[in-house]
Amino acid sequence: MSRLSIWLILGATLTFLIGPFLIVIFAGLSAGEALAFPPQGLSLKWYAKVFTVESFRASFALSMFLAIFGTIAALIIGIPAAYALNRYDLPGAETIRTIVAAPIIVPGIIVGLALLRYFVVPLDVTITMALFVTHTALVLPYAVRVVSSSLNNLRADMEEAAVVLGCTRFQAFTKVVLPNIRGGILAAFILGFVTSFNEVPASLFLSGPGVRTLPIDMLSYMEITFDPSVAALSALLAFMSVAIVFAAERLLGFSRYV
Amino acid sequence: MSDRFVSLTDLTLSYGSTIAVPKLNLDITEGELIALLGPSGCGKTTSMRAIAGLLAPTSGRIEIDGADVTRTPANKRGIGLVFQSYALFPHLSAFENVAFGLRLQKLPEAQIRAKTEAGMATVGLTGFETRKPGEMSGGQQQRLALARSLVMEPKVLLLDEPLSNLDARLRLEMRNELQRVQKDTGITMVFVTHDQSEALALADRIVLMKDGQIEQLGTPAQLYAEPASAFAADFMGFENIFRTEGSDLVSDSGRLPLGYAAPEPILAWRPGGVAVGTGPHQGRVLASSFAGGHREYVLDSPLGQIKADAPIDTPEVPLGDMIAFDLPRATARPLAA
Amino acid sequence: MFLNRAEGLALALPAALFTFLVFLVPVGILLSVAFQSGGSWSLQGYVDFFAQPLNQTVFLRTLKLGILVAGTSAVIGYLAAFCIVNLPPSSRGRIFGLVVLPLMISPVARTYAWIVILGRTGIVNDVITGLGLSDTPIRLLFTETAVFIGLLQLFLPLMIISLVSSMENIPKDVVPAARVLGASWFQVFFRVILPLTKEGLVIGGTLVFTGALTAYITPAILGGSKVLMLETLLYQKVNFSNDFVSASVIAMILIVMCFSANLALKRLASAKG
Repeated sequence: MSRLSIWLILGATLTFLIGPFLIVIFAGLSAGEALAFPPQGLSLKWYAKVFTVESFRASFALSMFLAIFGTIAALIIGIPAAYALNRYDLPGAETIRTIVAAPIIVPGIIVGLALLRYFVVPLDVTITMALFVTHTALVLPYAVRVVSSSLNNLRADMEEAAVVLGCTRFQAFTKVVLPNIRGGILAAFILGFVTSFNEVPASLFLSGPGVRTLPIDMLSYMEITFDPSVAALSALLAFMSVAIVFAAERLLGFSRYV
Repeated sequence: MSDRFVSLTDLTLSYGSTIAVPKLNLDITEGELIALLGPSGCGKTTSMRAIAGLLAPTSGRIEIDGADVTRTPANKRGIGLVFQSYALFPHLSAFENVAFGLRLQKLPEAQIRAKTEAGMATVGLTGFETRKPGEMSGGQQQRLALARSLVMEPKVLLLDEPLSNLDARLRLEMRNELQRVQKDTGITMVFVTHDQSEALALADRIVLMKDGQIEQLGTPAQLYAEPASAFAADFMGFENIFRTEGSDLVSDSGRLPLGYAAPEPILAWRPGGVAVGTGPHQGRVLASSFAGGHREYVLDSPLGQIKADAPIDTPEVPLGDMIAFDLPRATARPLAA
Repeated sequence: MFLNRAEGLALALPAALFTFLVFLVPVGILLSVAFQSGGSWSLQGYVDFFAQPLNQTVFLRTLKLGILVAGTSAVIGYLAAFCIVNLPPSSRGRIFGLVVLPLMISPVARTYAWIVILGRTGIVNDVITGLGLSDTPIRLLFTETAVFIGLLQLFLPLMIISLVSSMENIPKDVVPAARVLGASWFQVFFRVILPLTKEGLVIGGTLVFTGALTAYITPAILGGSKVLMLETLLYQKVNFSNDFVSASVIAMILIVMCFSANLALKRLASAKG
């Protein structure tokens, strides 16, 4: 294939993938009241407005809380599980693997409905708690997978060497394993954060008035108002995600782990 | 000096329900360099891991320096182990790799520094302190792994295939290095290898293993000259091994008269022990290759293929031609069945 | 490999128990709802569900869109992936990064873009009315085409990523070797590239197909109540008519479709030839 046709195909594909998003950024820059492209005059007023909408601020805070602490919780139970699945001769390892991976396979909306009906209502759990538990369960498979692949790249005889040199099993983990899978853990955190922050279907049924994640708040805002503020907010969130991933890539070659 | 410095008694080792080593008995003398030799799966690495404490025995006893350590965890055994892959810690500098075990002992910093520097000097790595293992060559990594074990002043140093990851030239260099370190420190060393030339060159004594059992134990000279079984003979380079019947050699493809009554059920010859150019038998040349000091032939005989070395000053026989050969009584190694 | 099983189980159990209790048990109960009618086991829920023409339409539409999106992304994916692996290493990483980038962006934001493009006052309608092709704006939103485009844009990166990583494993000189032996580009694709990248195609295909089946945001925003898919239908059944039996049926259908897609494609991948 010639260079020209290569670049034509890639240009068309990337325009399709990213072009619409560039349009959103500009649509948010409109000075007019209605959503349109090209924007009617340029202004930052919609970008500014985003920060003044009370519900956006509340839902942003909730989404941040879920993304950060849900992912941390997933890592706290996910790292030992990944370690056990990688390093131990476990009876029923396949079953454990399947159970832990299940939340990825089951469609999110079903998860949300099931938890609402058979977890939240009967156990009288608060919505925030339910969202926290759901996001932890949804992030857990990624945490286990990414940490596993980074454990896979670390030879097990390194831990044996540490033990022969005098470490307890636990010391071998903290002194030898952890420093060497730090990158994988950070990668798992970022992947989990982005997954949780952007999650919609599972959170749909678990969101009530006043307690909503940001993407769901945006969806319901769109149903009522059709001004460019959602465009501006979308652009801001995208910048945030891209900045996080870009920083991670620069710092530790994030893409190796995903 | 104790001749039972390391002592394995009825040691049985298994993975799950498969028994890898059944009832192994072995005594290792203090200060010797002993090789566990055998093909893969013979239990040599398994036995070594058991001595290190990385594998709990199913039954039997392990004693080191008079103390029963069978149930002592690996981190309390005071044993050194150099891994085949070296298992260096990639996140630590060379210095910190060597200092790793000393730091666990909570020695004063000055002492750690002195011991680490001395250890690195012993293996010729002075000046490499700040390098990461990933920035060092294979030979340097090997030395680093050795230094990391030596600074712990272990009672016994175990080495798993210590030379297998090195190229031919480095392998020779490390062989000498290992012997020198052993002589200087007087440390008891047990190394595992599948390469008989390595075992012959390095070891004071060789333990030849097969199916988790000791096939033969002796000095390199003993094993080389007097292998006790067909397995040992094959491992020691007797490439022509045949059964005998009366005064005939027999194989699956045919028989050949010996000219005398066979003394044992099996006779074996090294390629160098087969006479070429003269003799009562004829063989067709299947392959011929120059090997420096001699020429290696593969002959097709009534017994099947025979490997024979001819002196380099004899004229080369073309492929496909017939050549006379003999399996002399003098170079034959008689073996029990 | 450590042999201390109790220790290993103790490490793995929290994660497994957590997922089992807060995830598998509720989902299991939800799925069982449709099999119960008047206190006994029955398939009546399924019969009733499929008796309604709307439900049939939505089911078939979901299946159709899933297949179309997976198929189209495979075609575009092969072209794009082949181009990417043939780029010089310097630009390769950057272009690949641009393909991955959309995955990090909220699907709400990504889908929202299509409103700006396909809406009544969107770019496409501006062009159409500007050129005089039509006097009034054409309805582009809330059509199957809009949902298709939105889903394709959402999931195409997954296909490209799987294909790129499996094409990178093709030995470097295989394609030139096939060319030298006289294969046309067409033959090179079907006899060399396709068999060697089958695994990537299967993984990508499964991800895209199941992703399209279970997407909620795209059909919700671009299809609305006019172009329902199973997920949006489920939402309606629960929120507007409190119909949990239908919701349970849809949940089972979605899970069965996802699992059978996984299985069928796995079978395909391991089949010889």
